[in-house]
Amino acid sequence: MSSFKFYKPDNMEDLLKVKEELGGRALILAGGTNLLIYIKEGSIREGTLVDIKSLKELKGISGDNGYIEIGAGVTIAEILESPLLNDRVPFFTDTLKNFANPLVRNMASLGGNIADASPIGDTIPSLLVLNGRIKAACLKGERSVPLDRLFKGPGESNLKPDEVIRTVQFSIPERGKGTFIKLGLRNGTSCSVTSVAVWLAAEDGRVEDIRIAFGGVAPIPLRLKKTESLFKGEKLDEEKIRALSGEIDKEISPITDVRGSAEYRKQVSVRLLSRAVRICMGMEE
Amino acid sequence: MSNRELYDIALTVNDQEVKGRVKAETTLLDFLRDNNFYEVKKGCDKGDCGACTVIMDGKSTLSCITSVLQAQGSKIYTVKSLGTWDKLHSLQQAFVDYEAVQCGFCTPGMLMTAKALLEKNDHPSREEIREAISGNLCRCTGYKKIVDAIEAVSKGVRK
Ligand SMILES: Cc1cc2nc3c(=O)[nH]c(=O)nc-3n(C[C@H](O)[C@H](O)[C@H](O)COP(=O)(O)OP(=O)(O)OC[C@H]3O[C@@H](n4cnc5c(N)ncnc54)[C@H](O)[C@@H]3O)c2cc1C
Ligand code: FES
Ligand code: FES
Repeated sequence: MSSFKFYKPDNMEDLLKVKEELGGRALILAGGTNLLIYIKEGSIREGTLVDIKSLKELKGISGDNGYIEIGAGVTIAEILESPLLNDRVPFFTDTLKNFANPLVRNMASLGGNIADASPIGDTIPSLLVLNGRIKAACLKGERSVPLDRLFKGPGESNLKPDEVIRTVQFSIPERGKGTFIKLGLRNGTSCSVTSVAVWLAAEDGRVEDIRIAFGGVAPIPLRLKKTESLFKGEKLDEEKIRALSGEIDKEISPITDVRGSAEYRKQVSVRLLSRAVRICMGMEE
Repeated sequence: MSNRELYDIALTVNDQEVKGRVKAETTLLDFLRDNNFYEVKKGCDKGDCGACTVIMDGKSTLSCITSVLQAQGSKIYTVKSLGTWDKLHSLQQAFVDYEAVQCGFCTPGMLMTAKALLEKNDHPSREEIREAISGNLCRCTGYKKIVDAIEAVSKGVRK
């Protein structure tokens, strides 16, 4: 028999107090698009639902000097509608155009997507290549955690039981171009099988800087730093791109599940990476 | 912890106040159906089909994955807010005229999504209409007639 309580903090301090008091038993409820499903499935059976949906301190999108900060409670729909983000980082807003469907996007929050620590969270690969960080707050204070050190395994992060994600931040790279490709089973409503984000700066066809992140090819969303270093300094043509993309084999460990087999994911990932690099290089639309 | 902990809830549905006592995890969908708003349909009950779509504080919302306590004080509109049997809303009339209804199970949710879309964007392209309804699944119509109906309303044409 499940048993839940409900609590709606009026402000950040009340939220952090209840987190301090109840730790992991305080279940943060933002959009609820994951949490309510876990409750219905019975994978979570008790705790206090802590409603942060209308907490002002977790809202807001700001940016100056190429630095962007987004409140954890901001919804995917609000990100897509943000003039600031569309103007300054269209790469990031483009990423989210294939996130679920407009109904889910109205509800789903950025913080909930990250805290859920799913290997296929769609906001994560792009934030990884933007060298994104989160600010994790607790009653004692706040720490800044780089996203590439946040995740431990499917559904598991390094957030402490008393911590809340307050904001997500990143700097817009000065040069280069980014792209995100999501492969789902169908458009709309469907989660990713595999996704890739690439940020690339090139001069005369030679890679000056490249950042690559994948979702769905390992227990956590992953930056592929070894593959990045192989690309750096290389003059890219079709063949080179294909060969270097094949090197991700050594860094990924996809699994077989209902959405696809490990071998399928591996093959598809190589192709997705090649395509993303070609797009960044202007060799493909 | 007692498993009978109940909370007071008050919200308005189609401009009528509705009150009750609910569990922490009660969904807006179950609350609405328990209060006789059967026009809100329960399909998958996990966010996948859109049958339970209502408009909550101006936004199309999946009521099956909304905690009713998060809707405390909210203004909820169901398909019955649109029109009456004698005087159908233009969207309802268009769904009839364009044969966009077959079994009808998806229709209440589809209409609310369409209403929210037209309130935000009164001249959507067909592409935009398709995108807007992509979370509302229909097993029967193949969607084309639904898009035709919504497009007709946005252009002010009647069949
Ligand atoms: C039909 C459907 C389709 C979906 N499609 C996609 C998709 O295409 N791509 C995708 O990435 N996801 C998808 N999802 C999953 C989900 O919508 C997203 O992960 C969403 O971003 C979760 O946000 P939320 O606000 O609803 O989180 P909630 O369900 O409210 O919370 C999720 C988890 O994060 C915790 N949490 C929330 N906010 C914070 C915070 N600020 N600090 C600490 N912990 C917090 C909660 O306690 C909970 O454990 C889909 C879900 C559904 C139902
Ligand atoms: S019943 Fe809510 S989306 Fe299917
Ligand atoms: S008319 Fe039958 S599901 Fe749409």
